[in-house]
Amino acid sequence: MKTRILGVAALLAVIAAALFGLYGVPADLNQGDAQRIMYPHVASAWLAYLSFGVTALAGIGWLIRRDLRFDAVAVASAEIGVLFTALAIWGGMMWARPVWGVFWQWEDPRLTTTALLLALYVGYLLLRRLSDDPARRATRAAVVGLVAAVDIPIVHFSVIWWRGLHQPPTFLSPDKILHPSAPLPFVLALVGMLGAFTLAWTWLLIRRYQLARAELAREDAVRGGLVRRASAAAARPGVAARPAAAARPGLPASDDGGTPQPKAPAEATQ
Amino acid sequence: MTALRRNATIAWAIARKDAIAEVRGKQAAVSTLTFAAVVLLLFGFALGPDPRRLADAAPGLLWLGLVFAGLLGVGRFHELETEDGALEQLTLYPVDRRSIYAGKAAIGALAMLVLGALLVPLVAILFAVEIVRALPVLSLTVVLGAIGFAAVGTFYAGVTVRMRAREVMLPLLVLPIVAPLLLAAVKATSAALTGDPLGELPAWLELLAGFDVVMLIAGAGTYGFLLEE
Amino acid sequence: MPQTTIYASPRSVGAPQELPPAVATHELARLFGGNPALAGVTLSIPAGRCVQLVGPNGAGKTTLLRILATAIRPSFGSAAVDGLDVATHPELVRSRIAYLSHATGLYDDLTARENLAFAATMLGLDRSSSDQRIRNALDEIGLTEMATLRVRGFSAGMRRRLALGRVLLARPSLVLLDEPFAALDADGIQLMERLLDRWHRSGVTALVASHATEHIAARADATVELEGGVIARVSGEGVIARPPKREPTAGRVIEVAP
Repeated sequence: MKTRILGVAALLAVIAAALFGLYGVPADLNQGDAQRIMYPHVASAWLAYLSFGVTALAGIGWLIRRDLRFDAVAVASAEIGVLFTALAIWGGMMWARPVWGVFWQWEDPRLTTTALLLALYVGYLLLRRLSDDPARRATRAAVVGLVAAVDIPIVHFSVIWWRGLHQPPTFLSPDKILHPSAPLPFVLALVGMLGAFTLAWTWLLIRRYQLARAELAREDAVRGGLVRRASAAAARPGVAARPAAAARPGLPASDDGGTPQPKAPAEATQ
Repeated sequence: MTALRRNATIAWAIARKDAIAEVRGKQAAVSTLTFAAVVLLLFGFALGPDPRRLADAAPGLLWLGLVFAGLLGVGRFHELETEDGALEQLTLYPVDRRSIYAGKAAIGALAMLVLGALLVPLVAILFAVEIVRALPVLSLTVVLGAIGFAAVGTFYAGVTVRMRAREVMLPLLVLPIVAPLLLAAVKATSAALTGDPLGELPAWLELLAGFDVVMLIAGAGTYGFLLEE
Repeated sequence: MPQTTIYASPRSVGAPQELPPAVATHELARLFGGNPALAGVTLSIPAGRCVQLVGPNGAGKTTLLRILATAIRPSFGSAAVDGLDVATHPELVRSRIAYLSHATGLYDDLTARENLAFAATMLGLDRSSSDQRIRNALDEIGLTEMATLRVRGFSAGMRRRLALGRVLLARPSLVLLDEPFAALDADGIQLMERLLDRWHRSGVTALVASHATEHIAARADATVELEGGVIARVSGEGVIARPPKREPTAGRVIEVAP
């Protein structure tokens, strides 16, 4: 119920911020209406970074506590992060076309960094898809998320340097956007959009987390039932407990290396 | 001291064993080198015969060739372990797992250096680049690049070694991560070849060295988790 | 062998001892994907015993050995070797066990001697003593003359012997053997029997998953029978087992969503 209230609030906030960004702020002198794309674009980029930070921290949480709830947070955050990263790239391209005349401006470090960010985390999600055993999936994902998070600042700085070591950033660096001399409606529109998007992000994160927990619980219901059945049969001495695998309903094949009695376990499926 | 020494001994033993196995089973090494040479040749076709353009593109082509061939290399050193349960056996020895990472990264870096030693002259010949004067700086760049790539590649080879579709996943995961390395190495190489008119060479080498240090620490710190099941 | 009780309570037999049991598991379970390969094994083996592990394919024998060898982590429950938990102190456990698995873990492009030398380094043997031990091990497994040949050309039986040679390099307090008689010829079987006797004499605990009852029954102090991932029967002396709880252990993993 609380989540629903949050969801409605987030929706209203995004609508309000959008209306204000579209009608409450005058058009930019140089860029015209295209500049309005910046409000959701900057907000999306911020959430992309926030998401991947959360994913990395949740991964550390799993590695220390071995509690799959941390992993549920990690996957929720990564998926939402990919969504906002894609949004940020799309917004950037939509803005670059009228202002710079091209969709893709290699000179812009932010755009190139974000594209690499997207590749990193699409890889992260694919990696998760390819591991079925929950614990092993969580471990792999946690270390990969961690290394990716460490890499992001290096990517960012290297791209800034690459663009030209002596050239200061020209277009829309944060300090320029929030420069003290920037007109107040402009600042308000940006901050409003940031707040609204962050609210929406929080709602999405909670919902996706709940979904991940439900998936886990479903897996557990299957497994728990099997463990229970095998245990109960074996508790009566003399009564042969059937190998639980035989009673298993049609589930996907086991994880890499996860057949119950593998000959060479690590390579069973390779 | 003793713990460090023991770890170094372990890392050395692993790297040595892989080197011996690789030299004896020549096919893999030969095929990787051939692959790298063919890639360079095809780059030449793709860019056309204009010598000026080819010379300008040479640093980028060199590093793309190194990275693609290197991906085969680092994957290979983990595949050696999948013969008949060797990887599981390796994880059951009472050793610090950072030393396993160190050994694998060392042999990976060595393989990259061998690749570099062959590809640099090949690039010089194919794309008419004068390298003799730049050789000391070029060597340093290749060494730093090899270490960084091996640091990342070894980590991800550990991630994917027991996974389905690892042939696709390894490049997919490694390539975005090594983007800064590629960028810095290419810039450093072209600065070295042109005599560094802008004085930017030290900055790129520093970036490379920084990348190496960060990735070695990250890899050593997390690799052990990948070996548990 | 006397057919003693099915399940003794730990308190009645295992009176407080000063030494921790060589193997102690509690409600040990391991799932692969969704399959429980072990579904709640509570077992205690005193030090120095030779215990045979039997059961049909898929009963969980290999899984139990692999958990004790720290090759895989338990999903639920706990397991300890010499009182050291396998999940929290795997590196200490590793220095106390020697594990002979289905796979040989050998490198095909190295020679027999190089394989053993690599293992000796990994086990932390110093150079002076390792040469001697490698020679002795090669002698014992009867591969001295093949020591400088690459393993790629070895037969399955020779590979098994070489893997056994690696076990001989270690100084374990617990040996875990998974079908050690498989692929061995008559000489090899004699060798295995000799080793089992030697371990028994010197107080090394042995847990042997094997169907070759004719070779091991006379040597085993006890037999543990697994079925469907749980202990079905225990016979012999010293080993204590308890039936699993009816409800599966609710570990941290089992969390019901709202």
